Amino acid sequence: MSIGDEKDTIAGIATAQGEGGISIVRVSGPAALAIADSVFACHSPPPSRRDGGTFVHGQVTAGDNPPAGGPGATVVDEAVLLIFRAPRSYTREDVVEIQGHGGVVSAQRVLRRVLDAGARLAEPGEFTKRAFINGRIDLTQAEAVLDLIRAGSDRAAAAAIEQLGGALTSWVTTTYDDLLSLVGGLEVGLDFPDDEMPPLLIEESCRMADAVGRQLDRLLGTWDEGHVVRDGVLTVISGKPNVGKSTLFNALLGTDRAIVADHPGTTRDTLEERLIIDGILLRLVDTAGLRDTDCVIEHQGVLRAKQQMQKADLHIHILDASQPLDRTDRESLSLMPPDRTIVVLNKVDLGVTIEPSSIAEYPVISACFLKPGAVDNLKTTLASRIARYSGGPARVTISERHRQAILAASVDTREAMSLLAHGREEAIAPAVSLLRSAAEELAMITGRVYHDDLLDRVFSRFCIGK
Amino acid sequence: MTVSCDVVVVGGGHAGCEAALASARLGVDTVLVTMEQAAIGRMSCNPSIGGIAKSHIVFELDALGGEMAKNADYTGLQFRILNTRKGPAVRSNRAQCDKYAYSGRMLAVLQQTEGLRIIEGSVSRLILTNGRLLGVETIDGSHIRANCVVITAGTFLRGTIHIGDKSYPGGRNGEPAASGLSDSLEALGIRIARLKTGTPPRLHADSLNYAAMQIQPGLVPPPFFSHAARTEWQMFHVEHRQGSDSVFHVEHPPSMLRPWPLVEPQLPCYLTHTTARTHEIVRSNLGRSSLYGGFIAGTGVRYCPSLEDKIVKFADREQHHVFIEPEGRNTPSIYPNGISNSLPEDVQLEMVRSIPGLENARILDWAYAIEYDFADPTQLMPSLESKLCEHLYLAGQINGTTGYEEAAGQGFIAGVNAARNCLGRPPVVMPRQESYIGVMIDDLVTKGTSEPYRMFTSRAEHRLALRQDNARFRLHARAKDIGLLSDAHLAETERKVGEINGEIERLSTKWDEDGISLIQMLRRPDVGYRSLSGALAGLSDDVVEQIEITTKYAGYIVREEQQIARSRHLEEQAIPAWIDYKAITSLRKESIEKLSRIRPLNLGQASRIAGVNPTDISLLALVIRRGKPWTEGAGC
Repeated sequence: MSIGDEKDTIAGIATAQGEGGISIVRVSGPAALAIADSVFACHSPPPSRRDGGTFVHGQVTAGDNPPAGGPGATVVDEAVLLIFRAPRSYTREDVVEIQGHGGVVSAQRVLRRVLDAGARLAEPGEFTKRAFINGRIDLTQAEAVLDLIRAGSDRAAAAAIEQLGGALTSWVTTTYDDLLSLVGGLEVGLDFPDDEMPPLLIEESCRMADAVGRQLDRLLGTWDEGHVVRDGVLTVISGKPNVGKSTLFNALLGTDRAIVADHPGTTRDTLEERLIIDGILLRLVDTAGLRDTDCVIEHQGVLRAKQQMQKADLHIHILDASQPLDRTDRESLSLMPPDRTIVVLNKVDLGVTIEPSSIAEYPVISACFLKPGAVDNLKTTLASRIARYSGGPARVTISERHRQAILAASVDTREAMSLLAHGREEAIAPAVSLLRSAAEELAMITGRVYHDDLLDRVFSRFCIGK
Repeated sequence: MTVSCDVVVVGGGHAGCEAALASARLGVDTVLVTMEQAAIGRMSCNPSIGGIAKSHIVFELDALGGEMAKNADYTGLQFRILNTRKGPAVRSNRAQCDKYAYSGRMLAVLQQTEGLRIIEGSVSRLILTNGRLLGVETIDGSHIRANCVVITAGTFLRGTIHIGDKSYPGGRNGEPAASGLSDSLEALGIRIARLKTGTPPRLHADSLNYAAMQIQPGLVPPPFFSHAARTEWQMFHVEHRQGSDSVFHVEHPPSMLRPWPLVEPQLPCYLTHTTARTHEIVRSNLGRSSLYGGFIAGTGVRYCPSLEDKIVKFADREQHHVFIEPEGRNTPSIYPNGISNSLPEDVQLEMVRSIPGLENARILDWAYAIEYDFADPTQLMPSLESKLCEHLYLAGQINGTTGYEEAAGQGFIAGVNAARNCLGRPPVVMPRQESYIGVMIDDLVTKGTSEPYRMFTSRAEHRLALRQDNARFRLHARAKDIGLLSDAHLAETERKVGEINGEIERLSTKWDEDGISLIQMLRRPDVGYRSLSGALAGLSDDVVEQIEITTKYAGYIVREEQQIARSRHLEEQAIPAWIDYKAITSLRKESIEKLSRIRPLNLGQASRIAGVNPTDISLLALVIRRGKPWTEGAGC
């Protein structure tokens, strides 16, 4: 994405990809209105002669020839067109939004039509970038907006809005202040001769460094939660072939998304769909059955299944209750932490031969998926497993950029602490160098100027003579 | 009378001396104007050079070709090292100097410098024609015409001395203030504000009871600042060890340049302290202090507080140190460091006599506070040339700093750049990644100051790499560019840099029987180079010192260098002249105002301006990369 190409007109689908009531194609740039004229048929006057802040009902047509709106033009979608004129728009450029009647396919057809008419496909975040370049929003707001755009559920949106409001800033600022107090005390020890100094408390500094380290780790802990809030809880359904994974997948979604057959190995690739339970977004993944196979395609499917299982936030592992636990199942279970796993016993109607003690660590649900209401029990258990992602109001979440900065600060702080722990005064200067770097990492999140803060901190509290 | 020259330096203090010497030594016809020749290089406050972070500046001056290091070494009474245990990065030298010998030697150096004239006079205004600076005029109406003017007026501009409720104009104890020059500067649009500083009373040496105090002897061998003094000391002692008959040793007869031999015994200082009684006296007379009685408006030195400040702001401290420092070998004057104040005379006397050892002290000069004009340093470029008037340079206390060393560092750079201006060469800009002088000037011109600016090691982000011990090596390229050092000296530095790097390289590829590389061995805290099994015998002490420190700090310095590299792209991104901050509508108002005022040279400098945040910098980077002036909604 280079700078200097804002003469382009860009277009993109502004609503989430998926089923929804309405989908919006947004077009921004100098040619936005001209493009609207050529793709959108409405009663006179054409979009380019209408005022900003108005909307008009009409149709997106399939081509210029025959002319839009004229007899014989193919209708792509029925739509409402919203007109924004620069600078009173999101990007401060001319913008039109085409609100179509839902569905991925129809939104993509409208987009393709707009691109054919001269727009360029927007890169991720490019509308927001233009809003930033044109001075409509600042950088932190831009980041929060991007999170908001990407947010898959209401709770993610709440976290993004919270960040806009500065919850992250206040968390980071507290830690940063502690770090600065620590550095300040040590700096005074370096910048003034011993005889003028309060006795240097290296031990005390060590203790403070440890406290800062722990605060940073707590903040890092929110990453886990933050990514789940933003991206959804990756929930992987696994098990041997033909235990009913796809049946469960469909039952949870309430649709026939996956092909179901009695034939083992029917699912050869992983399938992913989104599901919301108690306001939490789940990315539900159906996988190929786990078994050794000579079939190359199925083997690939098993590999993918294993990859998904490694990344999973939550496992739903299905066992056939009528069969004893074998090596494949034991291996799979050994990789699944009990607090992130639900074991489902299927086909209980065929008799239970599985040894209960072998799966005692895990919450176990018995079911027969073929019966109506079979998954209600599972949904309740799922809800309780993911409840930790929904404790009260949305908490602070951090982005990847923040995580990198906080992680670096944490590593530096720990290293400084171990230097100080030896109790040698010679170690103070290198330790301070590390702690300064930690403070700078945090300052990058909050946008504060480290250097000025430090000197104020250092010199307001100490009496300095010679 | 009219005199013509290339560079005229106004003021003969620590900044003025370095400026005039640097300029003249670069072959430029230079005049130094001072009110009184005898006051050249005067130590108006404490008779010492160096101290933490200030010592770094003195070493850097020596590495670049300045005079301060030598002047302190050859007139030093006592030499010490501060922060010995805290490692090489913050280790600092400090020398008590003979106030009169220091001044006398500096004058002699100036007088012996070719192309440098000293003129006595008080400058009253700048001579300008159509905005072009032509020189300066003195109060007797004489004109000194010059291509470049360097103002190093110290505390003299509209100086006002305060003692209790009395105040009178003065530039220093017993010396008149300078009044006209501030008007000339203001007429150019230079913003003038007030600062204050103070000095303690001077005591008669014979009236003190040293038995009641703790003696503080100097260090032998003396830790010198200058390469010259270190070399001379070493030669002297090598000869003595070899029992030679001083074949190579030249006996220097005492002279202004060398008032006594380097081996002359050092004088001790003494340590005493304030008492509850001292604090009581100060507290009950605060209303009569110039500072607390409301007679002074200027901002004081936070880091070198007056006794009133210490007692009010740090009320829980039961006592404060007082250092008893001799002002010279042939003067009875004693400088009691730590009791600077602006109390009336009767209170000063009572207060002094409440201190152990000073019960019968006789006072030679009263303590006073002084208020003076300083010029906003953000109106200077990093070359120290004014943004508002070409060929005008400002250096030293007039830029809001405190301390002889800070003044000398700026004076040197201003002198070099005024001379280079005359020679048609580009100015020397000292990056903050390279020196304390660079940190100081960048701080001043980028952030300005609202209180007297003092150097600290904590101001240097790259403290582990900017040490006094490696000043000569890290500033080698800069020194070469400036051109004040002899070719032989530069060649020697280059050879030593080669030895240091070569030996570190060799140590990393040499292993002992246990498979540990020698460099790993050397990294251990208590292992010295010469104790390594494979150490080379022929390396000099300074080379060995560099090998040891570089190795032990290596990991941390690499990290610092990574940080430098991370911000280097900002330092390297110049801000083009066409940038119009007011037209970048998405910048915040505060940033527009500050950026327009300071006009940073690059994004790095812009990022250090207080109140300019990372968002503003990102935006500026975008605008610069677009490569065209900003207009609302242009082309979008």
